[in-house]
Amino acid sequence: MSLPALEDITAHHGGADPIEGVHRIETSPREKATPIIMEMMRSVYPHDEVFGQFCTVTDYVDCPPDELYEYMSDTRSLEEWTYSLRGFTTTEQPGLWLAYDRLGSETRIYTRTVANPVARTVDYHCAWDQGRHLWMIYLMRVVDAKVVLDKPGSVVLWTNCHHPFYDHNPYPETAPPERPVWVGDFWDMFGAGHLLELKNLKAIAEYRHHNGLPVTPDWMR
Amino acid sequence: MNAPIVSLLDVATYLPGEPIGVDYYEQFAGADELRENLMFRAPKFRHHVGPDETAIDMVERAAAGLIDRHGHDVLADIDVLITHTQLPDMPFYGGGGGMAHRLGMKPNWVIDLHNGGCAAFVLGLKLARQLLASGEGRTALVAVAQNAAGQVFDQEGVRRKAQASVPGDGAAVGLVALSDRSPILDVECRTYGEYAGDMTIAADPPRKWWQPGPGEGCIGFTETKITKVLARGNRQVPEVALAVCDRIGLASKDIDLLVTNQPNRVFLRNWREALEVPKERHRDTFDECGNLFGAGIPDNLDRAIGDGQVQAGDTMLMAAFAHAGDFAGAAAVRWGGRG
Repeated sequence: MSLPALEDITAHHGGADPIEGVHRIETSPREKATPIIMEMMRSVYPHDEVFGQFCTVTDYVDCPPDELYEYMSDTRSLEEWTYSLRGFTTTEQPGLWLAYDRLGSETRIYTRTVANPVARTVDYHCAWDQGRHLWMIYLMRVVDAKVVLDKPGSVVLWTNCHHPFYDHNPYPETAPPERPVWVGDFWDMFGAGHLLELKNLKAIAEYRHHNGLPVTPDWMR
Repeated sequence: MNAPIVSLLDVATYLPGEPIGVDYYEQFAGADELRENLMFRAPKFRHHVGPDETAIDMVERAAAGLIDRHGHDVLADIDVLITHTQLPDMPFYGGGGGMAHRLGMKPNWVIDLHNGGCAAFVLGLKLARQLLASGEGRTALVAVAQNAAGQVFDQEGVRRKAQASVPGDGAAVGLVALSDRSPILDVECRTYGEYAGDMTIAADPPRKWWQPGPGEGCIGFTETKITKVLARGNRQVPEVALAVCDRIGLASKDIDLLVTNQPNRVFLRNWREALEVPKERHRDTFDECGNLFGAGIPDNLDRAIGDGQVQAGDTMLMAAFAHAGDFAGAAAVRWGGRG
């Protein structure tokens, strides 16, 4: 016996017809659904379709997931594996870090890391120039590769969403004078840029793990 | 010393009978869950080989165009004959010997290629080029006969299936010679042997294809197989095409004429997207001829040459994959005009 799935919508909608955009086997049997799927399968996908609104990069890291999570959940790890964030120092607000993004000259970047050891999620909440509204959110998750790939190590998922502030700096008054760039100018290269940084993370963590060094280095302890 | 230059001098083609409209299938149409599938959405027309027409007949009729333009001696002097027949008139031996005889040739080499499938013309070009360049002769003929549409796919039970309306029959010949007129710039052929078993002739109840029994043999497709083949074709054709483009130093978007096999509209769209070639420069006859399998490439070339779409100096790229993805090939030719 089936559960009363979508019962409320059926009642509200006044019929068993599917609502727009829902494809379930009851109303879209395979002969209807397969052509839709096949229409969606391409040889190539436009860059904007893949990276325009959401930017996801993923990789396998040969390093135990809990150790990798612990390293990443310390904001100062960004000093090592990011391409351009340097000089992390604490601020007056607990948990809020200040660093410099060398992509923009004299650009301050504020970061607060929200991590969950059970789900192994590490979310870096950041912003250029000011620490009051952290709108650049880097959502990362470390998955046990044993579960998903049947081998030791970690899978790292990293997604960034195209927040409207990437297109328009909402706090221009906080920017250093005459700065020629805005962080959103780089959105179109985030897919490649973040993958480059993820490769950094992979190389660093694997080097430490393979050579018996603690994945979280002593200086961060 | 540089290897001698080998050219594709001309192509000629043949389509059997009058075009058969889609209404032909509507009278038989059974319930087939694949009918709405994009892979099997019917072309407007296709041609069917005649009831007593052999692959040898088809190749002879295709070669008539070469005789018209170049005279009988062009065939009599052929040194290398390479053939591909989709459904051999006799399964034990290929069609090459009979075709050579019919065309009045005494070639030193007769080779029947069965693995090339939809990319057979490309494989034939590669082999012809290699043999001529190594001194095995001055001219070669590559002959392709596609003849399953009016036979396997027109059986009483099979023609009720969605897949039956997609294939079309046709034949083509390509004249290859030691010449610098229309040089074959490069050819790439790849075999993906792990997929070789994925296309099957299935009968219900099951039997070997040659055994007697009640079920008609037809190409076995399941929904899961179809998406696998789609994914393979999506990948392989751009791969081999780009390998050729890379070696000859051509950006794929600068291909003057792209001709591919034409299994369905989805592949055609996906390949030109991948190669960044606009539709106007990707010639196809899917709606007039359906899936011509190995004859698709030369048929489209013949039309593009015949109506002036391709001009002397243009670079033509041919690319195709075969069967369920066990073979793929691409070739580039700088067209020098019909001699």
